Amino acid sequence: MSAISLRQVEKRYRLYRHGFDRLVEALTGRARHTPIQALHPISLEVEPGEVVGVIGRNGAGKSTLLKLIAGTMPPSAGEIVVNGRVTALLELGSGFHPEMSGRENIFLSGTIMGLERSQIEALYDGIVDFAGIGGFIDQPVKTYSSGMFVRLAFAVATAVEPDVLVVDEALSVGDGAFARKSFDRIMAFRERGRTIFFCSHSLYQVEALCTRAIWIDNGQMRMVGTPADVIAEYSEALAGVPTAAQPSLEVASQQPQGSASFRTVEVEAEGARGRTVHLLSGRSDLWVHFDFASDPAIGTPTVAMEFKSSDGKVVASVGTTHEGVHVERDSAGNGRVSLFYPRLPLLRGRYSVVAHLLCERGIHVYETVEGAAQLVVAQETLEQGVVTLPHRWEPRAPKQVAGVGE
Amino acid sequence: MSIATISRLSSVVLRGVTGPIVALFRHWELIKLLVRRDFAVRTSGTSIGALWLVAQPALQVVAFWFLLDIVLRVRMPGRVAFVDYFLVGMIAWLMVAEVLNRSLSVLIDFSALYQRSQFPIEILPLIPLLVAAVPFALVYAAMLGWIVGPGAALEGALLLLGLAFWLVPLTYLFAIIGLFVKDLAQTLPFLITMAMYLTPIMYMPEMVPEALQPYLVLNPMADLMAVLHGLVMDLPWDAAQLLRPLLLWLLLMALSWGLFQRLRPHMREAL
Repeated sequence: MSAISLRQVEKRYRLYRHGFDRLVEALTGRARHTPIQALHPISLEVEPGEVVGVIGRNGAGKSTLLKLIAGTMPPSAGEIVVNGRVTALLELGSGFHPEMSGRENIFLSGTIMGLERSQIEALYDGIVDFAGIGGFIDQPVKTYSSGMFVRLAFAVATAVEPDVLVVDEALSVGDGAFARKSFDRIMAFRERGRTIFFCSHSLYQVEALCTRAIWIDNGQMRMVGTPADVIAEYSEALAGVPTAAQPSLEVASQQPQGSASFRTVEVEAEGARGRTVHLLSGRSDLWVHFDFASDPAIGTPTVAMEFKSSDGKVVASVGTTHEGVHVERDSAGNGRVSLFYPRLPLLRGRYSVVAHLLCERGIHVYETVEGAAQLVVAQETLEQGVVTLPHRWEPRAPKQVAGVGE
Repeated sequence: MSIATISRLSSVVLRGVTGPIVALFRHWELIKLLVRRDFAVRTSGTSIGALWLVAQPALQVVAFWFLLDIVLRVRMPGRVAFVDYFLVGMIAWLMVAEVLNRSLSVLIDFSALYQRSQFPIEILPLIPLLVAAVPFALVYAAMLGWIVGPGAALEGALLLLGLAFWLVPLTYLFAIIGLFVKDLAQTLPFLITMAMYLTPIMYMPEMVPEALQPYLVLNPMADLMAVLHGLVMDLPWDAAQLLRPLLLWLLLMALSWGLFQRLRPHMREAL
């Protein structure tokens, strides 16, 4: 039995001029709206235990698909069957009543989730503890900070282990320590064989976590397959669509709690060190220096980095996790690691460095800094492309053509 | 009418009658939470809390009594004191008006609960009904205990709850109007007030001009008030005055529930 089964499911949004038109249409069955096709018919079977990642551009229909599976929106046509308890982390806390206290909202959400009062009472302490709301639990949730609100919402939604988890964008919720805690809870579901359906802009996460990937483009399922295949095709299609790189490296003023962040990311070449360096292709050596702060209580973070060409395409990437490099840090949680490229083989052009700081397993992202540094590469030769690959030429004697008379 | 039509019609009526009742029992915990919350929100910051919900209508009883019996000294020919007659009808009407007025906005007031998550929307029109019926039933019981005698208290509470039950289909209809037909929703509070003047509450049915008397049967509220006055104050009433509203109730239940279910998929998007 599939965990999720979609048969020719599609979604058309309807635009009405007046609320009254909607009433008339519902009663007479005569269309009085302008339809907008958000999702073309999709059929899909997801087996229990699968982790499915949905990728695609903004507005492609990813969220619509998630809402349909979560059941917060009915399909316009087709059939959706989800077996077992489904929990959606889409718009967290949307079912909360602002006037009700945290305590009452726990009971409200629990009741809507189909739990008995006694079951909610049994879960109650665990929820409050996980959310870290403390003394605010008897205050109306409208007085909560957005962080507290989302923490409580997450704690309630995930208090009972779902069979199918639907997650929008972030596999973690809130900030700092809670982000890590919520990520770990979702990962625990995955390890216990729960089905997870999530959409993400992080191709890296999709590839690292998913058993299958779906690419949604303009409301159509463009491709389904292994994450590696789908991401390869998707990246290909993305090329040429420039992404804005906003340099945004701020020095963390204090030690992050339960989390980690970069303090500086610098590049060094030809005796210069800073945010931008000039290099000569195939000649200059490049150093990239990462300096980060972390909560000593968490595992030692890992570092990853990408080179992006000016059209937004990732040219190359490296990470300490996959290469088995252990990053050193001191007792206060401060750590440094440097990366060395002898005679940088990138060809002429401008490249930006994207730095990632991740958890010890290299999955949860603490921080991503787009445009952490800029490389300006000049070139003396006439080679075309983005990189010089390791190669060698071998002169050979001309092949003897077999003689006619032999 | 063919057999098939009759059986189809009766199944629609049956669904309409059972629908809200099934919803009430299935989601009783949720309804309790929301009703209790509504009590708390409306009296938050006060020292006697939910007691105000009973005190408010009770004070109105005192105000009417003061005006009619002490200040104006209204006396009418007949067996019953006019102030008693007035209060029996008026307090019941105040509940009706409150239920209907709040039903108009209930789908908007509680939209946060269902807009982006799964929620049994069909329980929402029942919330304003219960929120008004519970305190009014208590006040009504106390009032009848005072006017008629302690033995009438229980009867009073049951009668008012019965009247509230009769309002169930109207709460669904008003909720739909409030969400989908905004222009009509704006005029309804006025129409509700007009309905009060057209119903023998502030006057007795005998005071209606002879020529207009036959038209009272067109007003189900007039029928219900006659039954209420009849049962409480031993005034004359006949079975037709109970049967007509009951038949109408069955029809309205079928209509409102069917309509509500039909419009349900549109509600989120109509916000």
